[in-house]
Amino acid sequence: MTTAQLSSQTACTTAPSVAEVEASCRLPVLFLAFSGVKWLAVGAVLALLASIQLYNPTFMEGCPWVTYGRLRPAAVNALTYGFALQAAFGLSLWLIARLGRVTLTNTLGLFIAGMFWNIAVTVGVIGILAGDATGFDLLEFPLYAALPLFASYALVGAWALVTLHRRTERDLYVSLWFVLAALLWFPWILSTAQGLLLGWQVPGVVQAIVAGWFANNLLQIVLTGFALAVLFYFVPKTVKRPLANPGLAQTGFWLLLLIGGWGGLSQLAAVPAWIPAVSGAANVLVLVPVIALLVCLWQTAEGKIAETWKSNATFRFLLVAAILLLGVTLRTAVFGGHFTQFTFFATARTDIVVLGVFGLAALGALHHIVPRLTTGEDEMPSDGLADLAFWASLLGVLAIGIGFTLAGFKQGVVNGSAESKFLESAVTGIASNLKLVTVGYGALALAALAFLANFALALRRCCAACCGGAR
Amino acid sequence: MRHGPIIGAGALFSLACSWAALVMAPQLQLGALAPAPIPNTSDVHPAVRPGLAAQGAEVYRSLGCSQCHTRQVRQEALLFGARLNDIGSNASTINLSLPASGTTNLVNLDLLIALAKARPDLGIKNVTPPPALAGDTNLAPRLAQFTKDLALLKHADDKSAIVRPASGSTVNDLAVKLPAEILVKAGPDAAERVVKLLTDTGAKAELVIYNLGPDIERGWGARRSVARDFVNDSPVLLGSVRIGPDLASIGTRAPEKFAAPWKFATTNTTDELEHRLLVHLYNPRLLAKDSTCPSASYLFDTNKPSIRPAREPLPSVYPRHNAHALVAYLMTQRADVSLPEAPTPAVAKPAAPAGANAPAKP
Ligand code: HEC
Repeated sequence: MTTAQLSSQTACTTAPSVAEVEASCRLPVLFLAFSGVKWLAVGAVLALLASIQLYNPTFMEGCPWVTYGRLRPAAVNALTYGFALQAAFGLSLWLIARLGRVTLTNTLGLFIAGMFWNIAVTVGVIGILAGDATGFDLLEFPLYAALPLFASYALVGAWALVTLHRRTERDLYVSLWFVLAALLWFPWILSTAQGLLLGWQVPGVVQAIVAGWFANNLLQIVLTGFALAVLFYFVPKTVKRPLANPGLAQTGFWLLLLIGGWGGLSQLAAVPAWIPAVSGAANVLVLVPVIALLVCLWQTAEGKIAETWKSNATFRFLLVAAILLLGVTLRTAVFGGHFTQFTFFATARTDIVVLGVFGLAALGALHHIVPRLTTGEDEMPSDGLADLAFWASLLGVLAIGIGFTLAGFKQGVVNGSAESKFLESAVTGIASNLKLVTVGYGALALAALAFLANFALALRRCCAACCGGAR
Repeated sequence: MRHGPIIGAGALFSLACSWAALVMAPQLQLGALAPAPIPNTSDVHPAVRPGLAAQGAEVYRSLGCSQCHTRQVRQEALLFGARLNDIGSNASTINLSLPASGTTNLVNLDLLIALAKARPDLGIKNVTPPPALAGDTNLAPRLAQFTKDLALLKHADDKSAIVRPASGSTVNDLAVKLPAEILVKAGPDAAERVVKLLTDTGAKAELVIYNLGPDIERGWGARRSVARDFVNDSPVLLGSVRIGPDLASIGTRAPEKFAAPWKFATTNTTDELEHRLLVHLYNPRLLAKDSTCPSASYLFDTNKPSIRPAREPLPSVYPRHNAHALVAYLMTQRADVSLPEAPTPAVAKPAAPAGANAPAKP
């Protein structure tokens, strides 16, 4: 008790002020956030174009660069690496700086590493469109983009960890556990997968197993982890209450790390049977930590949800992200078996986690962070654009999730019985569901543009304030 | 928790567990998998792809065909059966034709008993020789023995509460048209028992296998895909969603089993299949009106090349090298070769399902 008081006192004396912390964040965090959401817009448009080809195959026909088989991986990788991971790095830096009460180490270096990350993603997306995709889900970037990508991450990650080490607030809050775990997890899985697939080239189906292991860890631990870090920071903050049950959060955290990495291989059929069986069990078990963590958040917000929903733009995003996290985990646990194997149902998990769980949480957080780092106010300059961003992204994620899920069920029926005609039931039969998916990607692109416009307004106001000498 | 290193170490430990189980263990189990010899030939499966097909694999990867096509045939069950190929002969085999008739009508009496044991759902009739043979001294003891065997059988039936139908078909009719399926879609033990029962009487019988499941019924492959099918691939493009049909065995697909069924017009089936695939690549909607398979018309040329390696899909549409390579690759896709861990009906060696590679069940 006394030592804690003492240490927090000594910490206070050396700790930088909030203004100093935020000033150090300004350049790298705003840059990563802005380019991240830019990639959200680009990726959503690419995915939209690809989804049209699923029911209108003559659309953009005749050019190999934009054929479905290249456009779709380009979109997914742009969304994952360009948007999700990039925004996650920005948010992590901000969380480390704020929660650790420390100014960022080497802001200029972080900014430059961020630029290189963007260049690498651009090269990777163009590489896929040019036909150099590796063919492994979520790892499609060719080696000449994957290596610079890894190098830029190494810099961002290293400086983030150095900043964390220099923190003046010694206690690590829940959010930072997730950030720390994800920051360490990501380079390991990325280097393992790239090393085994593009370097050493393990033989046979082991390649598919490694790629599935990577993709699952990226979704289940890294991106879900970043989303949880955001939730655990902003939910208590927006409802203005301390975290209700830290012990439960701790249990949930460790269980998620222990179980989460085992799922994701149930899409493989041509492998020894124990592999999909183990993964299927993990997909169910992972419900335990997810529910534990969500209960913890629920207890924190209970009773103030309706009120905060109305008053706070960030909270709305977070609430939906939390519900989607429960939804996507339940969905895989309940329907993740043989019936949905090889259907859109299973593959849509990537979209829901990247765009829904992580994407909405990140957009919510940015609606809080961006105004603070630009205008110094609490809210984005335009309420209308903030509303638009929220409703459009909500609609988008729901449309994508529902469209793919329904299409997946129909495909499951076709896979399950040789009686049903493939062309009628699995091709023309799912066109209407896929049109919903197109609408979803369109709405998401709109949400990204609304946020970017708001961002630009904030930047302009900030510049006007600084340069115009109004402040 | 205030110690970053502890959290970091814990995280890395958790990751190490999943890495050891899902990366290391499969590599140890499958890393040394090698092509298997094809029975009765000097070939192995999977064969190393000829140069053109290997280039086609690159085209397949580059165009992202695996975004819409899996190459993994699933199988729900592996069942067994017994087939009688020849009644054979032993000491109790009798000829019911008259010596002068020049024909033989052999009846393997032990086989009849064995068949009755194998098929408790069928009746069994006594064997009555034509009147002209009634006095045959060779036949009499055999038939007497058979009557005794029938009584024993009846006794055994009663003991195990088997009631055979009094009318309808009998086991005596089974052996008339060979080969005859004695046991269909049963477990491996039951099937092996029946085969042994039959062969012990001198008859020729074999174990047959049934690969079951919607994929197989659809004609997408004769058996499930297993890890060994991919030992020569790199990258291994298994695909994860079936927007189009599975392509694991497109090189051996029967015309009526395509999404848009068709028929061979000549006996040169390989050539016809290749041509069909070329037309499909050029414009899938020429073959299936509602197809959403993207056209790869950019793999074709309208200028006549100096050498024409194959037929053009349409008048004055000439496939480029990559179109040939891709078709060559598709033609090598076959999941019809019997493997120890995934037998196909063509071979009838007793094949216990190998534990390590049993079909992936939900
Ligand atoms: C947008 C998804 C999509 C992509 C990408 C795609 N296909 Fe298809 N493919 C389909 C659909 C749907 C069908 C079923 C309709 C038909 O037979 O045309 C099909 C059918 C086929 C068939 C006939 C199989 C059968 O059983 O009838 C072949 C062969 C084929 N595709 C090859 C390819 C190749 C080679 C590529 C890569 C250049 C490719 N496909 C890319 C969707 C796709």
